[in-house]
Amino acid sequence: MHASNQVAQRRSTTFPLDVLIIDGDKGFTRNCVKTIESSAYTVVGANTAQAGLAVAETSHPRVVIVDWNTPGGNGLEILKSLAEREPTAVPVVVTANATVDAAVEAMKHGAFDFLAKPVDSEKLLETVRRGLDLSSLRKEAAGAEAETDASKKYDLLLQGLDVLGEAYSMGIEKKQLLDELTFLENEAKYHAESLGQIKKKERVILDIRNDLAEVDAILRKYDFQKNSLIQVLLDVQESFRWLPRHILNWISGRLNIPIREIYVIANFYEAFSLAPRGRHTIHVCTGTACHVRGASETLTRISSTLGIAAGETDKDQEFTLETVHCIGCCALAPVVQIDKQYYRDPSKKELEKIIKTLKQEKEEPCLA
Amino acid sequence: MSRLKKPADLKKLKKEAVARRGAKKTWLAVCTGTGCRAYGAEPLADSFEGEIARRGIADTVGVRRTGCHGFCERGPLVVIQPEDTCYLGAKPKNVPDIIDRLTTGEGNVEKLLYLDEANGERLSRLEQIPFYKHQKRILLENNVLIDPSDILDYIAVGGYSALAKVLAGMAPEDVLKEVTDANLRGRGGGGFPAGWKWETTRDAPEEPKYVIVNADEGDPGAYMDRSILEGNPHSVLEGLIIGAYTIGASQGFIYVRQEYPLARKHAERALDQAREYGLLGRNILGTDFSFDVKIHRGAGAFVSGESSALMCAIEGHVGEPRPKYIHTSEKGLWGKPSCLNNVETWANVPHIINHGAEWFGRMGTEKSKGTKIFSLVGKVKNTGLVEVPMGITLRDIIFKIGGGVPKGKKFKAVQTGGPSGGVIPESLLDLPVDFDELTKVGSMMGSGGMIVMDENTCMVDTARYYTNFLAHESCGKCVPCREGLRQTLEILNRIAAGRGKEGDLALLEELGEFMEAASLCALGQSAPFPVLSTLKYFRKEYEEHIREKRCAAGVCTELIAYVIDQEKCTACGACFRNCPVDAINKSKDKVFTIIQEKCIKCGACYTACPDKFSAVVKVPATTMQKQSAGAATLHETKA
Repeated sequence: MHASNQVAQRRSTTFPLDVLIIDGDKGFTRNCVKTIESSAYTVVGANTAQAGLAVAETSHPRVVIVDWNTPGGNGLEILKSLAEREPTAVPVVVTANATVDAAVEAMKHGAFDFLAKPVDSEKLLETVRRGLDLSSLRKEAAGAEAETDASKKYDLLLQGLDVLGEAYSMGIEKKQLLDELTFLENEAKYHAESLGQIKKKERVILDIRNDLAEVDAILRKYDFQKNSLIQVLLDVQESFRWLPRHILNWISGRLNIPIREIYVIANFYEAFSLAPRGRHTIHVCTGTACHVRGASETLTRISSTLGIAAGETDKDQEFTLETVHCIGCCALAPVVQIDKQYYRDPSKKELEKIIKTLKQEKEEPCLA
Repeated sequence: MSRLKKPADLKKLKKEAVARRGAKKTWLAVCTGTGCRAYGAEPLADSFEGEIARRGIADTVGVRRTGCHGFCERGPLVVIQPEDTCYLGAKPKNVPDIIDRLTTGEGNVEKLLYLDEANGERLSRLEQIPFYKHQKRILLENNVLIDPSDILDYIAVGGYSALAKVLAGMAPEDVLKEVTDANLRGRGGGGFPAGWKWETTRDAPEEPKYVIVNADEGDPGAYMDRSILEGNPHSVLEGLIIGAYTIGASQGFIYVRQEYPLARKHAERALDQAREYGLLGRNILGTDFSFDVKIHRGAGAFVSGESSALMCAIEGHVGEPRPKYIHTSEKGLWGKPSCLNNVETWANVPHIINHGAEWFGRMGTEKSKGTKIFSLVGKVKNTGLVEVPMGITLRDIIFKIGGGVPKGKKFKAVQTGGPSGGVIPESLLDLPVDFDELTKVGSMMGSGGMIVMDENTCMVDTARYYTNFLAHESCGKCVPCREGLRQTLEILNRIAAGRGKEGDLALLEELGEFMEAASLCALGQSAPFPVLSTLKYFRKEYEEHIREKRCAAGVCTELIAYVIDQEKCTACGACFRNCPVDAINKSKDKVFTIIQEKCIKCGACYTACPDKFSAVVKVPATTMQKQSAGAATLHETKA
C-alpha cells in the first residue's frame, strides 16, 4: 500500500521512468510491476503496443520490457519504433514460447536480453538492474554528445553573429546590434550552465535512489516490521557508516514511524552516528580493566597523534576515534582496536605505522 | 541431517557423534575466543591445519577451533587432547616443533609449558596449572572440548540430553520443582531466585508468554557471558528451551550486544543447527511442544541491560526502564508475561536437570548454590575467566588462581559488581564470595567482573571513573539518577583536579543516600556504591587529595607531573621519540628534560623509558610549582 503511494508520487515528477512493461498478459504485467516496485524502482505496465509506446514517448523509460507477442503489434515492430523514438531506452524481450530464431531476431533488433516465461523474480530484478546500468551509460554518452553539440552550436552562433554584425554594421545602429549580441550570448551561456546543473542533480538523485534501493533490501530482510527498527538502523549504520537524513526519512515512510521517534532512537544508542564516520575506526577500550592499566593516557596519546578528540572524525574521513566500554580483551589491557585488529597499548611509532598502512590500502572494506 | 523424531533418537545421534570424534586419535583444541584471536589464534590454527595436511597425518590428528578456555593472559592457548597438554602463547613458528613431538611421542615443547615460578618446574597438564587447579569448571568445562559451530560436538559431550530427559517424561511442574529446589539464583547481578521468576511467569494469566536471554553484558571489565555464548551457545539454548517448556512459552529472544559480533554469529548458527535437528521449531523432538528463538542486537546502551529497558528495546523503542510495580515476569514484552534470565543462569539449567538439584546444592554456601564465573582482570598476573564454587574466598581467587599482583606491587583493593558494585579492601579478603556476603560489605556480586587494583590505582579516580560511566549511561528519565550523578561527578572532578573543599565528602555521602533511596531503577539505586564504598574504606585518600593536593597513586593527572631523573637518564632517546607533542627537550650535552608547559601528561615517556633505567618519574604537581622550574633544577644537579 505504502509502496505504491511512493511510486505514485514519483510518477508525477518529470524524472524519467525506470521500467516500462508492454505485455498483453495482465496478470504477468501486474506481477512484474509488483516485483520491480518492491525494489524501489518506478515502473508502469501497459497491455497494448499503442498504450506502451504512448507512455514511452511521454515518460522516457530507461528499460522497456516487451512481450514478443503483444496485441496490436508484434514485438519486433515495437522494438523498431522504440529504437527510433527512444534510442537510449534498453529493450528486454520476454516470451512464452521461446525459440532460438525469435531470440536471434530480437537480439538483432537491439534487445538487450531475452527472457523465457515464466520469469523468476530474482532473475527479472537482475536483468532490470543490468539494463538500468546500461541505460545510464547510454545516457551519459548521449549527454556528452549533447553537450558538445551545445557548445558547437554556441560557437557557431557567435561566429554567425560576428558575420552578421559586420554585414549590418553599416545599416543598423551599433548599440542595438551589440545589445542583441550580448543578449544572445548570455542566453547561450545560461543554457549551457543549466544543462550542467541538471546533469549534476541527476547524478545526485541517482545516488540517492541507489541508497534507497539498498535500504529497501535491508527492510525486506526484516519483513517491514515496525519493531525491527533498531535492527534496520544497525544494518544501515553498518553499510553506510552513518545514518544519513534521506535514509531516515525513507525508513520513516516505509515503516510508518514518525521521524521524531527515529531520531530519538538514533540519539539514544551509542552504535548510531548522525555524522559520517571515517573509513577506519579506532576504538580505545576504556573498560575498567583497561582504565586501571592506563587507558586514559593511551587515549590522550592517540588523540594527539591523530589530531582528533574521541568521538571525532578527521577531515579526510579516514579515521574515527572512539572509546568503548570493554571489548572483553582484558588480558591485553590497555587495548586498542583498529578495524578488526587488536593492539596492546600501541606507541606513537607503531600507531603512525598502522595509520600509514591503512591509508594505503584504499579499497579494503573496513567495518569492524 | 535427519530430524530427531522422538527423545530417544538423541541417544543414537550421540553415539554417532562420539564415534566421529573418536575417529581421530589426537585433537588440538585451539582457543579462538575473542581474547585469543587478538593474539593471533586464527593464523595459528591455520598453520596447524597446513602442517597436518602437509605431513599427511590428517587421519589421526585434527584441529578443533574452540571457544574461550579462560586463561586469556597467556594466549593463544592450545590444548592437546586426550593428554590435556597445555601450550601457552604458541606462535605459528612453534607449529612444526609441536607436531614433531606429537608424532614421535617424545616429550613436550618445554618452553611453551606453564612455568611454576616457585620451584622452576614446567607443568604440562591443564589441571596441574594453578590457574585451572583451584577452579571448579562446570559451565566452562566444555569450552575446551567442543567446536561451538558444530552441534554434534555438543551432543557428543552430552548436550541436549537434559532436554530429551525433560521432554521424555518430566512434567513442567517437575522441572520447576527441580530448579526451585536447586535454588539457582540469577547470575546477572541481582541474585533473584530463577525458580520464583519462572513460576511467576508460568502462573501469570495472560498469553502468550516469552522467555528472554539477557546477553547485554554491559559491565566494563566483564566478559563471561560473551565467552559462554561464543564458546558453548547450545548450552544456553538448551537451558532456554527447557525454561520455555516449563513456563509455557512459544517464543524466545536472545538480546546480544552489538559489540559482540562473534557471539551473535555463533548463537545464530546454533539456532539454525538446532532447527535442522528438530531441537527447535515446531514439534520439538516429535512432541507437541513448539518453540522458536529470535536474536535481537543491542545498539549500545548500558541501561538497556535492565529487564524492563531491554524489553522496550526488543519492542523497537528506546531502551529506558519503567517503574516495576508490576514485575516484567507478569507484564513484560508487549505487556505479556516475560521471563528474563542472564546467559549464565540459563546455561546452568541443563546441568541441574542432568545431575539434580541435590548435586547442585552440594556446591556453594547456604544461600548461594553452584558455581560462579568471574572475569579476573586488572592488576593481576593471570588475567582470565575463572569459574569457582560459591563461598570460595576472595584471597583464593586473587592469589591462588590469579597469582597475585604483578611486578611486586602491593595489593590495594578488588572491585566487584561493575559500576553498581564497590571496592573491597585487603582486610576483607577472607570474605567468602556469595550474593549476600558481598552485599553486606557495600559491594555486590554483579555479573562477575572482578577488577584487581594495586598501589598505583587511585581510589578517587576509580570512583570518578564509574560515576563518569554511569552519568554517561543514565537514561535521564528520573531526576535523582540524572542530577545526582552529575553533581557527584562534578565534585569528584574537582577533588581529582586538586580543587576539593572541606565538606565535599559529607556532600557526596548525602547525595549517595538520596540516589539510593529515590532512583527509579537499579542503575540509579546502585550508582552511588562505587563512591560510598571507596569513601568507606579509603577515606584517607580522598582527604589527601583535598587537603594536601596529592595523589599518592600518581593517577590524577592534574596533581602529578612527569620529570626526568637526571641521575638515571642515559639519554637513550626513547622518550624523545615517543612524545606525541614534542615536549621533550634534547639539549646539547645530550641530557633530556620535559618542558612542563607543553606536556599533556599522556605518559608516553613514562611507558617508553626502559625498565632498567626508570628515569622518567611522576612527582606531585605541587613540588613543580614550588620549585617554579623543576626540570631546570634537576638539570642543574646533573651539571
